[in-house]
Amino acid sequence: MSSNETTYKIQVMREILAKKLTRPVVGSLVGCVHCGMCNDACHYVITHPDDPKMTPSYKADQLRKLFKYNFDWTGKAFPWWVGAKEPISDADLDALKDIAFGTCTNCRRCTLNCPMGVDTATLNRLMRGLLSAVGVMPEGVRVVSKDQWEIGNQMGVLKEDYLDTIEWMSDELVNEVGDPNARIQIDKPGCDVIYTINPREAKYDPRTIAAAAKIFWAAGESWTMPSEGWDQTNFGLFSGDDQLGGAAAKRVYEKMKGLDAKLLVISECGHGYRSTRCEGPNWAGIDQDWNMESSVFTMLRYLKEGRIKVDPTKLGKRVTYHDSCNLARSCGITEEPRELLRAVTTDFVEMTPNRAENYCCTGGGGAMSMSEYTPRRLRSAKVKADQIVATGAKVVVTSCHNCVDGLSDLIKHYKLGCEVKQLVDLVADALVIEECAVMKKPKVVVEMPKPALPLHGRRILVVDDEPDVRTFLRTVLEDAGAEVSEAADGDQAIAAARAGKPDMITLDLSMQGKDGIEAFAELRSDPGTRDIPVCVVTGHPEFRKVIYSRAVPPPEGYMDKPVRDEELVDNLRRIFELRNHKAHA
Amino acid sequence: MVERRVGDKVIRLIQGDITDMEVDAFVFDLTADCKLGSGYGGAIATRGGKAVQDQLGAVGTLPTGEAVVTTGGNLKAKFVIHVNGPKFHEPDTAGKLARSVQAALRRADEKGLAALAFPPIGTGLYQVPLDLCAKVLLETVGTHLGGRTSLKEVLFVALDSREYAPFAKAMNGGN
Repeated sequence: MSSNETTYKIQVMREILAKKLTRPVVGSLVGCVHCGMCNDACHYVITHPDDPKMTPSYKADQLRKLFKYNFDWTGKAFPWWVGAKEPISDADLDALKDIAFGTCTNCRRCTLNCPMGVDTATLNRLMRGLLSAVGVMPEGVRVVSKDQWEIGNQMGVLKEDYLDTIEWMSDELVNEVGDPNARIQIDKPGCDVIYTINPREAKYDPRTIAAAAKIFWAAGESWTMPSEGWDQTNFGLFSGDDQLGGAAAKRVYEKMKGLDAKLLVISECGHGYRSTRCEGPNWAGIDQDWNMESSVFTMLRYLKEGRIKVDPTKLGKRVTYHDSCNLARSCGITEEPRELLRAVTTDFVEMTPNRAENYCCTGGGGAMSMSEYTPRRLRSAKVKADQIVATGAKVVVTSCHNCVDGLSDLIKHYKLGCEVKQLVDLVADALVIEECAVMKKPKVVVEMPKPALPLHGRRILVVDDEPDVRTFLRTVLEDAGAEVSEAADGDQAIAAARAGKPDMITLDLSMQGKDGIEAFAELRSDPGTRDIPVCVVTGHPEFRKVIYSRAVPPPEGYMDKPVRDEELVDNLRRIFELRNHKAHA
Repeated sequence: MVERRVGDKVIRLIQGDITDMEVDAFVFDLTADCKLGSGYGGAIATRGGKAVQDQLGAVGTLPTGEAVVTTGGNLKAKFVIHVNGPKFHEPDTAGKLARSVQAALRRADEKGLAALAFPPIGTGLYQVPLDLCAKVLLETVGTHLGGRTSLKEVLFVALDSREYAPFAKAMNGGN
């Protein structure tokens, strides 16, 4: 990097800073008297007592130097006295990056404890924004931001995968409650509620989607989920990029308006709630004329209105509650989660301190995406670990997906032996369905074929030369609702496929007689069989290259033996769903 | 949909996911190290398979303003034309953007393609101003379509209304 380019970057940062100098920002820049009261509030200071660079005032001073150097008269008159200074090299910019991204989770506990009202977290976010604007940011921040910009959600979940997951959760829920009306509706116009989620739910923890759907169903709610604009989280809050903040929020709002929904419900996510409910309209530059609420409020309302009933004895474990920084400190949501928690459990104990004074989970501010700072983050998590241990709780409840990850990580690191849950999990598990609103509504009888085993009615040809394997596959697939036929080698497979036109073939590769590789090429070359999806099930993973290098379309699935029963069923179900999706696209 | 005709050729503005489109080729804004990365790059890798990254690996590096072609792998598009556009408030953003677009159009002609799709290059993470991008793309593509080219249709593909509006405004003559 030439020094000219570095100079240009610093010039850009200077120009952007000039546009960000609002009254609250300037107030925080000039208001600090370095009294040190913020130090005791910061989990980084508490866990790094000998490192002055961890103090909130030191972190904010980095921006103050830039401000004083360029904009404040004291910096122009006495730069040596007030520490007015600009970064001059790439190394300086990297050092600023490590401070702004690696030593602060923007939890705002220092802000709350500042007698001068200095909002250090706002200054830190502003510094992050200046650095991001010139491409100086941790790799994880760059990756996640780009996913949200271009795919529309922080985790790069593609639309087909998102829809597939919702369908999967719908199937599970319908099977569980035995009511086809429990199916999740996508893009249904005119509903009372539109439900938006954190992409972590679609990618890693879809049970929370099913849990929320169960609660909506039990409450007899008119609700839908959007096919786009479904990510209520917003990495712009973490990266300091207000444009990303506005773009992400606007996608959610526009989808809600397009579907004419009455209320936007935001699943349990601290920064998602703050971004969508509080900051988003400002970033997007639009007047808010619609209603939004956290799902915590929605669940509590259902309870108070008698639309759902719960049994608080179901969990049977001691629980404590961790306040998300964004919910408690930035949005003032402290009592509603506790009211809900007391309703669904019998042994709730507060951690100390709590509510707006609670400590950060240490995964906030995008910290979970910045792996280079993990050792420091986990060291700072000792404060939270001590809080949890003191409660004696076996379950830590929180209303934030970020906190779930942060807490899970520190619980594992410090070997605390407890689990993390969200309120949606507890409420769904505690439901007494017989007494919920859905049971009081007049029954709508929906004609459904017998439900919905995952492979119900699918005709599957199992090809394998080992009888034991065929028997195993037949048993698993029939239990999942499939009609199974068998073939013991390649020739039999081709004949059976031509004659029976199965919906799917599971194909072993190494067989006596005509092997699976040859059989696959023939099946794919024959117009009568080439469209039958094939899932290879083989004990020879090295054949993968051979089969994918054939001059025919590749198999739809490829599994290495030994296969687990759920894994097999899930893979075949997904192949069917993907084909359906493509057929209807 | 907004359209602008250039002789018997046409520029169209549509909204959608460019990596899921059935076109001869679409343009992807790559980084110099030729790694697909996240965002559209992640979608190309997931939907297209490893063929695209494998071909880029053989390229190695791509200087700003240049373009390289790979097949689309399992994507609906036959080819992907990779450019390395301006990133993060670089000096001469407009010039670098114009050279990237010109390079992509040349690669499309070399392949004899009839339809090519452009995203608003660099206007998300890389903070290229949308109105500048719309102006440069429209002017550069318009000039190219006015000359000898295999292209019959160029699509501008906006992901959302934020991207769509400035392009629509530019294509409607700034109104």
